[in-house]
Amino acid sequence: MSEAQDIVMGAVKQALSGLRGKTSLPDYESEFLFSVRHKESEQDGWTEFGENFSAVSGKAMNEVGDLVEFLKEGGFEKGYCDPELKEQVGEVLVAAGLQVSYAFDHQRVDDYVFGITRASGVIAESGTVILNDEDTVDRLAALAPWVHVAVLTDQKKVFANIPQAIENLGNSSNVIWVTGPSKTADIEGILIEGVHGPGVQICLRIGGEN
Amino acid sequence: MSKSVQPIDAFARDLPRETRDAVLSSVMTRTAGRKAKLEADYENPDDLRRLAGKVKQHTLEHLDEYLEQAEAALIKNGATVHFASTAEDAREQVLAILKENGAKRVVKSKSMVTEEIHLNDFLQKNGVECVETDLGEFIIQIDGDTPSHIVQPIIHKNRRQVAQSFEELGLGDYNDDPQTITRRARKHLREKYLQSDAGMTGANFVSAESGRLVIVTNEGNARFGMAANGLHIALVGIEKVVPRDKDLGLLLNLLGRSATAQQLTVYTQFINGPRSKSQPSGPEQMHVIFLDNGRSRVLKSKERDILRCIRCGACLNVCPVYRQTSGHGYRAVYGGPVGAVLSPLLAGDDFSKYADLPKASSLCGACNEVCPVNIPIPELLLRLRSRANQEGIKSAGSPPMAPFAKLATSPKLWQTAMTASKAMNHLPITMMPVRPLQEWLKIRTLPKWSGGEFRRWMREREGEPRMDTNKHE
Amino acid sequence: MPQNKSRPTGRKVMLMATCLSDVFFADMAKATVEVLEAVGCEVIFPEAQTCCGQPAFNSGDFPAAEKVARYTAEVFAGDLPVIVPSGSCAAMHFHGTDLLFEDKTDTEKVENLAGRTWELFDFLVNGLGVKQWSGTLNKKIALHHSCHTRGSDTGAAMETLLSSIEGVELVEVGTPEQCCGFGGTFSVTFPHLSGEIGQVKLDSVLAQSPDLLVSADMSCLMHMGGLAEKQDKEIETRHAVQVLRDVGLNQ
Repeated sequence: MSEAQDIVMGAVKQALSGLRGKTSLPDYESEFLFSVRHKESEQDGWTEFGENFSAVSGKAMNEVGDLVEFLKEGGFEKGYCDPELKEQVGEVLVAAGLQVSYAFDHQRVDDYVFGITRASGVIAESGTVILNDEDTVDRLAALAPWVHVAVLTDQKKVFANIPQAIENLGNSSNVIWVTGPSKTADIEGILIEGVHGPGVQICLRIGGEN
Repeated sequence: MSKSVQPIDAFARDLPRETRDAVLSSVMTRTAGRKAKLEADYENPDDLRRLAGKVKQHTLEHLDEYLEQAEAALIKNGATVHFASTAEDAREQVLAILKENGAKRVVKSKSMVTEEIHLNDFLQKNGVECVETDLGEFIIQIDGDTPSHIVQPIIHKNRRQVAQSFEELGLGDYNDDPQTITRRARKHLREKYLQSDAGMTGANFVSAESGRLVIVTNEGNARFGMAANGLHIALVGIEKVVPRDKDLGLLLNLLGRSATAQQLTVYTQFINGPRSKSQPSGPEQMHVIFLDNGRSRVLKSKERDILRCIRCGACLNVCPVYRQTSGHGYRAVYGGPVGAVLSPLLAGDDFSKYADLPKASSLCGACNEVCPVNIPIPELLLRLRSRANQEGIKSAGSPPMAPFAKLATSPKLWQTAMTASKAMNHLPITMMPVRPLQEWLKIRTLPKWSGGEFRRWMREREGEPRMDTNKHE
Repeated sequence: MPQNKSRPTGRKVMLMATCLSDVFFADMAKATVEVLEAVGCEVIFPEAQTCCGQPAFNSGDFPAAEKVARYTAEVFAGDLPVIVPSGSCAAMHFHGTDLLFEDKTDTEKVENLAGRTWELFDFLVNGLGVKQWSGTLNKKIALHHSCHTRGSDTGAAMETLLSSIEGVELVEVGTPEQCCGFGGTFSVTFPHLSGEIGQVKLDSVLAQSPDLLVSADMSCLMHMGGLAEKQDKEIETRHAVQVLRDVGLNQ
């Protein structure tokens, strides 16, 4: 133990010594945290996710074709794709005339208008995409491009709610819950999307039933 | 301090109307948004607030155990853990870590605790560039200003002022469109991220169970700060620890809704150590500094409940006094109701310097009603008033209470005073004996004095025997 | 905040008229007596009463507040319900004494008084079960829920009785969270803040163009009314109990 630690821990212990009638740690069921909307939802997880994700300006997609159309319409022509998604996503984009790179060059992060990486799951209740260090090929590829596409391939990773997603955080050293595009309301309370992170946040499910 | 005017009252009086109106309308919108969101999502949001309050109170009362647990878990995850007793200790430790790694350029994510220890100036003096990356904090930094709200640091500024600052910094011609300003900041700060050697953050919560740090931002600045360089330093108040991962779910559900009417803040990061082996971007080292800086002293006091605070800013938004003053009226890092409690406590021996703040409240209780961890702020304000009274700290404009107590425990004297004071009706305002009363009457009228009238009526009514006059004097 | 649900009730009660009634609001106190009698109560008024002690308590002068609170507990000793036509003074009894006497011994009397105290409207509706007030009043009423009735049953009780009066239209006042700015000695020590805070509230009230501004606390009405009068703005203020009395006592 360092000297500083001794001092801090000593001060904390001393502050609490003699404290009586301490509050016990309350326990509670996960359901206690569910919103009314989630409790009453009769939709399947992915549909519930899609609605909630859309409510926070996210875009949920079921077909690579929808992504192609969106990127072409928006003029987002050049980007990066995780090599693991080459066959299912990258090549479809290339076939449609978009420029796709499978290597992410740190020297030119601003050249990628879109970044396509894998999602580690979604949360239905909150409309959240889950990213973690193991599934994300490069943190910057999921962050720097204006359009980020998180691709969900594992249908089992649709978590119903926040407590369930917490239980499944796993051992990754870096888990990020993404609930919509980057945003700020710092100036006069006016909402602007796309501050440091993506201005467009997409979640594409492939291999699903729809 | 002037003898006759309270500093915060004078501050509010002198605050430009435009600033006051900007603050007022912004926080009213936020208050309404928070309420609508919580009430739409929960049948009884108060149950959730009370539960969260208990969890945090329990943690504080067992903080030694949970800190030890958190430390062990963090070390197991590969992080390096430090402790800092004072602001100075913390600043020196940050500098030492940076020096060891030859880090000269730091990008910083929004953190109240780094404001508290005045880290930026210190690093700057020691040759380290430290750039604020939250848009609001960035503007505060280039203006040499201080934040006036926990969540919305530039609540006191308008777009024209921001546009001017950007122009002066050389970020393009004058343009006050918030979207243009944001894009310019994106471009400017992206360069700073990519050139940085280290990222600094605070933490919203630390789970003792797993050692996970939770950091939330809407802009994505904490993500970028932890993707573009190899060194992460998190400066964390010791009160940020919570027992279990499941408690993170409880608190996150309340934090976003209370702060910004969001179910979740856009980016919720769970940091469990340095980057994983397969990951090419992000910190290879993670340092966590647990900061005391007066917190253990607060923990010892009966006002320890204030350490439950999760910095959502809801109490500022709802506070009628904050609405008239902005955060700057509170003369310290933390403004609003939470600041009025925390500032005098954190000041330690300088308690008297901030002893006026707990008095600057009508004790309306709106703060407690919105607090996501149900802190009994009015009660804490009263405790601090009592402490100031015990320590004999004089307060401008406060009427003495000993004569009142004498009067209110002497029924005959009381009744005489009530009747005699009827003379007040016949005095012109300027002859009112007490100066504060004159101030009062400048903008308000008082009703007609009717001292003694009710009692007389009561006596004269039928059924006079009901009067119970037997007991006293 | 939750109040003691097992408070005594019954139609023999003691009235705590409040110090403001002694000073300014004789008519409100009279209305309280008349309304309580109209629903069959026998009202006992302990003449030695003065004040709940809140001014000293809120100023942080706990020793002075303790003296007054102990004195008041003596004055209202017994087992009858104690009725207070003020949410603020009632709150002092419910919550203030917890803090004031937390380290004290010999607190039986103050605790006993806290356990018998009712805010007037809470008592009428929840204590006596009076949920109807017959009569007619063709007025638009803006209700001000005073801060010290937050979380109590007073607001709902007041709404129940007022809305039962034929012709009454209750209008929602914006910024329900906003205080009237009075805060007792706060308004004297922080005159500017207090005035501006009150102005925000007053503007919300006036935006509804009500015929009457009504509350369960005279002090808030005094403050908002005083601000309005100085600005020559027309707003008639009435304690809710005055409204009941004026509508009719043949209940």
